[in-house]
Amino acid sequence: MFVPSRAQGSPPYGGPAWDDERAEEAVGRGKIQLSDVTVGYGDGAVLENLSLDVERGDFLCVEGPSGAGKTTLLRLLYGSLLPTTGLAVVDGVDLASLRPRHVSRFRRRLGCVFQSYELLPHLTARENVLLPLQLAQMAIDEPDERADQALEMVGLGDKAGSLPAELSGGQQQRVAIARAIAHEPAILLADEPTGNLDSVCTADVMRAFRAFHHEGGTVVMATHDESLLNAYAERVIRISPRAA
Amino acid sequence: MSLWPLRYVGTLWSYSWRWQRRRISTWFVTAAVVGVVLSVAVAVQLVVWLGQRSLAGQLESASEMQVFVVDSASADQQSALQAKLTAIPGVSRVTYRSKAEAASRATHDPELAPLAGASDGNPFPASFVLQMRDPGIAPRVLSAVSGDPAVDPKIPASYTAAQAQRLSSALGTLQVIALALDLVALGVGAVVALALLRGEVRARRDELRILTLVGVPRAIIRVPLVVQVLSVALAGSALAVLSLVYMGQHVVPAIDQSLPFLRLGDPAQAFRPLAVGTLAASCATLVPCALLVRLPR
Repeated sequence: MFVPSRAQGSPPYGGPAWDDERAEEAVGRGKIQLSDVTVGYGDGAVLENLSLDVERGDFLCVEGPSGAGKTTLLRLLYGSLLPTTGLAVVDGVDLASLRPRHVSRFRRRLGCVFQSYELLPHLTARENVLLPLQLAQMAIDEPDERADQALEMVGLGDKAGSLPAELSGGQQQRVAIARAIAHEPAILLADEPTGNLDSVCTADVMRAFRAFHHEGGTVVMATHDESLLNAYAERVIRISPRAA
Repeated sequence: MSLWPLRYVGTLWSYSWRWQRRRISTWFVTAAVVGVVLSVAVAVQLVVWLGQRSLAGQLESASEMQVFVVDSASADQQSALQAKLTAIPGVSRVTYRSKAEAASRATHDPELAPLAGASDGNPFPASFVLQMRDPGIAPRVLSAVSGDPAVDPKIPASYTAAQAQRLSSALGTLQVIALALDLVALGVGAVVALALLRGEVRARRDELRILTLVGVPRAIIRVPLVVQVLSVALAGSALAVLSLVYMGQHVVPAIDQSLPFLRLGDPAQAFRPLAVGTLAASCATLVPCALLVRLPR
């Protein structure tokens, strides 16, 4: 069984440590802190004065209707958007001080899963997990074994040689989860990961999230599926659309 | 010792190869277009190079200059002048031509013969005849003899600075034309390479976005583009060198045979500098294209 190692304060993978933030990291690994955060596109704010504390090992669901700002929140958390005002610290990194050249390094500390799977169609399941691992984590140890272990963890060890087109939607999403956790992140961010799946596939995908969570990982999942909230969430926050 | 750097380079290389292999037909078309453009450029360059060499050779053979001696110059003054002329860098030989010898030569010159016949005395001055390695040193000679008591102050030499300047500028013009043609060719090559790269980025937008989202550094995402455009530059240059060799072995001898006055000569000496120059210029022009093309955020 693949067991992500998340020792307090240790780098998330075999790559170089982020020296200037190591002190912050020691107290913030696996945590998310948002304090009076406002974020938006152009002049309009989508999220306003949002405050949130996610502890290490939490399973947090973000619920709300379409357009409420769930995806915006997830984009903020993986460094695609920066806060307009307020303090946002993810996995020990203050996003306001995140320089553009450090975004890719910051993202390697996280795992991200998207509604549309985002798999490369010409690569097998194993290659889909392995390629980003090899390209992003230069000095990672035994990438092949890690990819295989991640696929085992999501229950797809026997589908490693299959192309995405040969897999069901649920299996494709589990490959995406394997890719997201192969480099042993402390936080897994998921944006509507079951939005395109039927109930059977949804259950398979959620089992994979649970496996990661039981190993001590923090999960933040955006969804509008009430049944998921009842069945899996430890904490739920609800976001309402801003009044015009 | 850790082997991860080697392993990482291997991964990047295999990813770049896989990237390229999937759209190999596009690559072939681009490499062929770049190759044709570079072939045209290198062919022009070869003709200009040979033309320059031929012109320089002809100028060199015609690099004879006379410094006229006044009739009143003493033997010592003439010796001092000869020594001064011999010491000028670029002057390979200095010989004395007497008044009698000059008059004798004039009778065989259709332009000077009437003058020789019409005069009672000998109007042709004695002179020192200089063989120059480069006509460009004529101004230096004129400057050296200026004010010398043995030199005719009215017409000091057969060769003026303006004439030398015209000959030198002819060579310079040829070089500028060749350089301009090269720049045009490289510009066309860069536009073609940019079109290829933009097409690649468009075709792989999803793949690049996924790699960005999972934290692959943007510099690493660019590596396949750099490898691709480098391979286009290498293939295009190889095609251009083949054209160069073909042209040198078949076209140049044919031109020499039909237009012998051009005297283009043996092009073998031009192969290496032109091949190396084409490769270096194509790489230096095309590789920055891979750094300029915009990646998805």
